[in-house]
Amino acid sequence: MDFFRKQVKSDCEELLRRFQETDSVRFEVFSKIWREMNFAQIFYGTVGHEKRAFSRLVLDSTCRFFLPPFSFQIRVGGLYLLYSLYRCQTASPSEQIRLALKDWDDMKKFEKDAVDAQHVDVVYIFRQLMFLKAFHFTAMPTQLTYNKKKKVERSALCEEFIERASRPQQLINIELLEELSNIHDLYKKLKSSVSMTTEQADSSVNLIHKDLVPQLRSTVVDFYKWQQRKVRHLHRFLFKIICMCVFLDNISCSKRAGLLASIKSKAYGQASEVCALCYRF
Amino acid sequence: MTNAITYITHKSLRTSYVIQGDSMAASGPSADGNTNIPDYEYTDVNTTAFHIGSFRNEWLSRLKAEDCSYQQEDDDAFDANFAKEMGVAAETMTELKSICSLDSLRCHPEDEQPDTEVVPPDPTLKTLVQRKKKQDYRASLKVTKNRHDLYADELERLTVGRRPEEVADLVPEGEVILTINIYYPAIFEKFNYIRPHMTLLMTGSHSLAELRDAICCVSDLQVCGEFSNTPDIAPDFISKDHYKSAFFFFEGVFYNDMRFQECQDISMTVIEWAKARNFPPHSQAKMEDTQFVDLKVKVGFPYLYCHQGDCEHLVIITDVRLAHRNDCLDKKLYPLLTHKHRVTTQKCAVCHVFIGRWFTTNDQFAPSEPCLFCDKCFRMLHYDSEGNKLGDFLAYPYVDRGAFN
Ligand SMILES: [Zn+2]
Ligand SMILES: [Zn+2]
Repeated sequence: MDFFRKQVKSDCEELLRRFQETDSVRFEVFSKIWREMNFAQIFYGTVGHEKRAFSRLVLDSTCRFFLPPFSFQIRVGGLYLLYSLYRCQTASPSEQIRLALKDWDDMKKFEKDAVDAQHVDVVYIFRQLMFLKAFHFTAMPTQLTYNKKKKVERSALCEEFIERASRPQQLINIELLEELSNIHDLYKKLKSSVSMTTEQADSSVNLIHKDLVPQLRSTVVDFYKWQQRKVRHLHRFLFKIICMCVFLDNISCSKRAGLLASIKSKAYGQASEVCALCYRF
Repeated sequence: MTNAITYITHKSLRTSYVIQGDSMAASGPSADGNTNIPDYEYTDVNTTAFHIGSFRNEWLSRLKAEDCSYQQEDDDAFDANFAKEMGVAAETMTELKSICSLDSLRCHPEDEQPDTEVVPPDPTLKTLVQRKKKQDYRASLKVTKNRHDLYADELERLTVGRRPEEVADLVPEGEVILTINIYYPAIFEKFNYIRPHMTLLMTGSHSLAELRDAICCVSDLQVCGEFSNTPDIAPDFISKDHYKSAFFFFEGVFYNDMRFQECQDISMTVIEWAKARNFPPHSQAKMEDTQFVDLKVKVGFPYLYCHQGDCEHLVIITDVRLAHRNDCLDKKLYPLLTHKHRVTTQKCAVCHVFIGRWFTTNDQFAPSEPCLFCDKCFRMLHYDSEGNKLGDFLAYPYVDRGAFN
């Protein structure tokens, strides 16, 4: 049965990718894609003992989309996929979905988030699975046979499905850059009000980079590039962030505390807004 | 089986577990994470060690009674409950039910019943394309279902969803079920690369002695001795009585079988055995007094079962979970065999028809050394009509692994 693992994973990812494009968490939207892809047919052509083994494979490979680190929307898609596969499987009586004890809290948290956001269909599907006794309450997500070779084949997580809120480019976005730009202008005006001429001020009280905002922007762009090119850029990125913090720290006027607080609150505000996007109806 | 009975079984078991759970919690670790919530020690390979009874209590403390009940609750009650809890109006509820219905997942016209046993034509799903390829290949080989598959079907049909006749034999709700693989000894050179094993399901209240009794190994049946002069008195099978000593080794503890007089002084042998193999410090316990819920183990980790002095098997607990309504719920059918490696039987070297019963060495009549004979051919070739031995050969009774399935 391991024979089909790669294909199953790729079919499931394709369905979730299409679901992600819709930016929706509605079951209606999901089931439309399911029907368009004829996904129920994934079970067709299995006979006898294969039915059970294939159900096991399909449910085991889908279960992780329902858990972190995937974004809320993908987790909803994962839940819908589990529900649909569970209901459409050809094994009788049905194979159960394995739920590991260590993942229980994550799942309850997900349910609570769905309740709080009034995603009635998400909650309904989840409770239906509990009601149908679709779960095995297990020690681990899969049976373990000390198979060290399997680990090598273990496929990578689908990058685009992962929770985005933690990414630097989400934290430092256009709005934040605009805000920083405003603050920077304010700072320049402040300096010029202290001294006689702007020329003088610029050279004598040179505590902050003149081009802070464009530099920060380019750093974020750098970070995008790093995603293709890896590590070295990240180090430079972090180094620049640290440098900027030092510069900001050096601003010796009374505005300093307020300025830092403003940046911080803006940054955190953005982060939680990104989370909120996931709950969009 | 009635509602009331299941409810009572569940409730009583649950209460007793919760009490145990409380006392566990008092002594157990708390600050640095709960060690009875299994996690990977090596990802996808094996877990950290945890106490099976406490693991069960952790689950039961999180679940509602109905979550692990064998009883299917009422549909309407579910809907009413949901609507009330989520504050959903009746018409929204109707709409929600229709949106989430099985119908919305149907991928064929309502009045058509597709053949689910064949791959549909022109599939787009990669899984189906692959399955079609595989089936076409298999068809080109003209192989029908092999014995292995048939046997798996057989075991499956026997065990799924079985209920006991007597209520007392019902596996209680909230009980743990373990899946245990026992591997055949590595010394059996022929099978080194495919790791043949048997798979047993056991419940948390089973003892290790019950696991021992369920393990069938040919060396428990092997007759020791040379019987060429007296072939008629060679017994058919010799049972476990031969060497009763046996032990399991889990997480630094030797669990000895102390049920029989002859086993009483095996401890010393075990200690010496351990010394010889540089085992870390260990303790001992009785197999028959140890239930699975008492054990501390790593899931996926290879442990040891040793019997007949030197026949060593790897034992891997591959799964621990709560019992489910689709499980075989008849206690009497446990330990439950769900998989057994089918070994092809070794046929007689002369007639190639019957299963081998004797093997001989130093045998002038034999085409090979050693050589395997069925009982008929063996006697025909090696004894005259009066039953007198012909020649100087040695003969040993042989128990075929395949015949033993
Ligand atoms: Zn053995
Ligand atoms: Zn013969």
